[in-house]
Amino acid sequence: MTLRVLTVDDSRTILAMLHHTLSNAGFEVLQAEDGKQGLDLLKAESVDVVITDINMPVMDGIEFIKNVRATGQHNSLPILILTTETSQDKRDQGKAAGGTGWIVKPFDPEKLISVIQRVVH
Amino acid sequence: MSDLDDFKATYFDECSELLTELEEQFAAIEAGERDADRLNAVFRAIHSIKGGAGAFGFSAMVGFAHAYETLLDYVRDGRVELTDEVVSLCIRANDIVADHVNAAQSGDDLPADYGADEKARFDALARGDSAEDEEGEPIEDFDIEFTPVMVNLDAPASGEAPVADAFEAPPMQAETGSWEIRFTPHRALYARANDPLLLFRELAALGRMQVVARLGEVPPLSDFEPFAVYCSWEITLSAPELSEAAIREVFEFVDGDCDIVIAQAGSAPFAGASFEDSPAVEAAAAAQDEPDLSSLLALTEDEMNGGPLVADLPEPVAPPEDFAPEPEAAPAGAQDAFEEAPALSFTALAEAIQPAPAPQAAKPAMPAAKALPAAGEGDEGHRSVGVQSIRVDLDKVDRVVNMVGELVITQSMLTQQMDETLRARYTELVRGLEVLAQTTRGLQDSVMAIRAQPVKSVFSRMPRLVRELASKTGKKIKLETIGENTEIDKTVIEQLSDPLTHMIRNSADHGIEDPARRLAAGKGETGTIRLSAEQAGGNILIIVEDDGAGINRERVLKLARDKGIVAPEITPTDEQIDQLIFAPGFSTAEAVSDISGRGVGMDVVLSNIKKIGGSVHVRSWTGKGTRMTLRLPLTLAVLDVMLVKVGGGPYVVPLSSIVETMQCSRANFERVPSGGRVLQVRGEYVQVIDLGQRFGLPNAVAAEEQFVVLCETEGSQKVALVVDDIIGQQQVVIKSLEENFERVDGIAGGTILGDGNVALIVDVQGLRSTHIHQNAA
Repeated sequence: MTLRVLTVDDSRTILAMLHHTLSNAGFEVLQAEDGKQGLDLLKAESVDVVITDINMPVMDGIEFIKNVRATGQHNSLPILILTTETSQDKRDQGKAAGGTGWIVKPFDPEKLISVIQRVVH
Repeated sequence: MSDLDDFKATYFDECSELLTELEEQFAAIEAGERDADRLNAVFRAIHSIKGGAGAFGFSAMVGFAHAYETLLDYVRDGRVELTDEVVSLCIRANDIVADHVNAAQSGDDLPADYGADEKARFDALARGDSAEDEEGEPIEDFDIEFTPVMVNLDAPASGEAPVADAFEAPPMQAETGSWEIRFTPHRALYARANDPLLLFRELAALGRMQVVARLGEVPPLSDFEPFAVYCSWEITLSAPELSEAAIREVFEFVDGDCDIVIAQAGSAPFAGASFEDSPAVEAAAAAQDEPDLSSLLALTEDEMNGGPLVADLPEPVAPPEDFAPEPEAAPAGAQDAFEEAPALSFTALAEAIQPAPAPQAAKPAMPAAKALPAAGEGDEGHRSVGVQSIRVDLDKVDRVVNMVGELVITQSMLTQQMDETLRARYTELVRGLEVLAQTTRGLQDSVMAIRAQPVKSVFSRMPRLVRELASKTGKKIKLETIGENTEIDKTVIEQLSDPLTHMIRNSADHGIEDPARRLAAGKGETGTIRLSAEQAGGNILIIVEDDGAGINRERVLKLARDKGIVAPEITPTDEQIDQLIFAPGFSTAEAVSDISGRGVGMDVVLSNIKKIGGSVHVRSWTGKGTRMTLRLPLTLAVLDVMLVKVGGGPYVVPLSSIVETMQCSRANFERVPSGGRVLQVRGEYVQVIDLGQRFGLPNAVAAEEQFVVLCETEGSQKVALVVDDIIGQQQVVIKSLEENFERVDGIAGGTILGDGNVALIVDVQGLRSTHIHQNAA
């Protein structure tokens, strides 16, 4: 079964790169440009894993994760935080909000796939 | 590597949007709107630029953006105060980032120390307020690991993990690299959608593994809390040279969300305190617990259906099935322990629990409940929730524009074929054609609208320009913008920035007076430049207006005469004098000023505007101000033309260059010593170009029945084109000659007329240049 990944990032470049890498690896990719869009998509779509940026307009990644968990509908949906932060701060905040793991930008394709495989069945 | 190029194109597109956004945000910040939203937007923009730069290995840009971002972060959380000095530093930094982006795009190298001063300033500011941050962040050497993005992507074919392989692979080894791991997850681990099973899977890939589940803490049913954590595991993992770090890495994401003890097999720590401390029962408990657990599950299912237990369920934290390791994860003893616990019970439990606290759970909420086949079915229609726009390659749009153009031609061709007899005979057909004409026009408008963008993107750069100009000249200038949402063709917008910048510079530099002079003239200290855009028919008017001193006609005329632009015997009207500022090589400033200078004058504005099929007109009122009006076509693909006949064939002349048309006799042309001919039009001598002669066509009409099309070319130079007849105005779709045939001097392109005939578009500017050249030779 094809796994579906929801990618949430306000950077089109990053979305495009994620899309390329993930679809080449056989994933089905959904895209959202901010947390709000991501949340709306999750209402309508079932996905197997979420990859989200932290710094985004409208609704940032931390809020997005909190909101996803607060629905009570996505308790076991793995959410990976995409971050360039060199500091631990954002990562910890993301985890505290309910993030499952993280991916450090710039990501290399193999690493990205292996991180996803760590968190999905 | 075309994929990489695509990504880069996306990235640079995005950068230009982000840089525009930065401009807008800082315009507001400078105006005093220093709220958190703006700072966040600025931070995000820089952050995104940096992120992409990192991915493509633009390390100089990353280094600078990182330092800038760090400062912004400090400003955001209040560690650094957003003073005026910081704001202007940021504005400079935006320029530097823009330069980095441009350099990256064009493949140029910037000097290694480019922006070093600003970067040092960031560091100083960032350090200044935070003593505890002695070391600071590694602003100087932000290390970028660049990995080309699209190579070797066929590696993992899907999200499936090679579980089976992992179990088979490593043969039994000597116990040298043997570890014992004690793993007790907390609720938080499940709350973050981590799953012990996945951790085991990953561990199993490291070596030979044995997992024993410890269920000693599972309470009697009456105390059973569905979302509490009662399980812990003991794992024995063996592989040669397996390090503790490798094991720790598996638990990277769950660090802090579980208790974990890792020890060399048989070593003291494992048998020691930490293990004893935990309230678990002996390791072998799993097998013995089997009957109890089965009955527990059976009971639970019944009870759940009954309801009361469900009512006070705590906030759901972890899916029940996560409580038990699945057989594949526990090949040894534990596997037996769970063989009898039917998976369905867990699923049923999940189902039973879910609807109670959240009745809207019509769909299976958890991907983990993969046993349920209904997941995701019937969702196709909702795929695009939240997406209001799509991005389309400009080429694709242009292809549609082109085809619509063809359609318009075909449609008008069909209409022209209908003569009176046909019209009378086929009324239905005529009606159909009328509807077709209407629909085609609608389609054309809609397609053009796709290419259209608000002028805002250009206008938004101007407030900053005006501020800079004001501070450089010591004048007080206010900029008003009107009609920012007026839309123009994307290509036109791209070409608009330079001319507009120049016009505004001109207004600020030459138009607006300094405060003292303004006060003396009875005006307010602050001068106003008004920038407006509006649609007028098939054109867009962009007006730059100032309330300055107006054009000093005396000085302009004197300068023009000195430079030989205006002959001594000619006395131009006020309006003509105003237009002189667009004449090539003309500059009213006695000293080339720092602002309008750069060695180019307003003539560049004119030629840029002409290039996109527009025109410029200037009108000035002494002591009151100057108004410059740019008239631009709504689109570039369709041209307004005058259809003329030369040597019996059709030619078209772009309407934007035509000043007037008149009938005259060849006898009116006067020879000049250079061999050319001129025509006197209201006291002004205008160069004559006989199109028939130029294109080697026979004379089709009598010499006294010639028509002249008076055109204005670059720098307000006029030429008189001699043609046989003037047919009328119309719109045509431009076809490139270069692409379909080859470049022809004096011809700007071709077009297909409504009757199917090909007409060539006369290149007025080109004709004039070659004409001069020929005469000189």
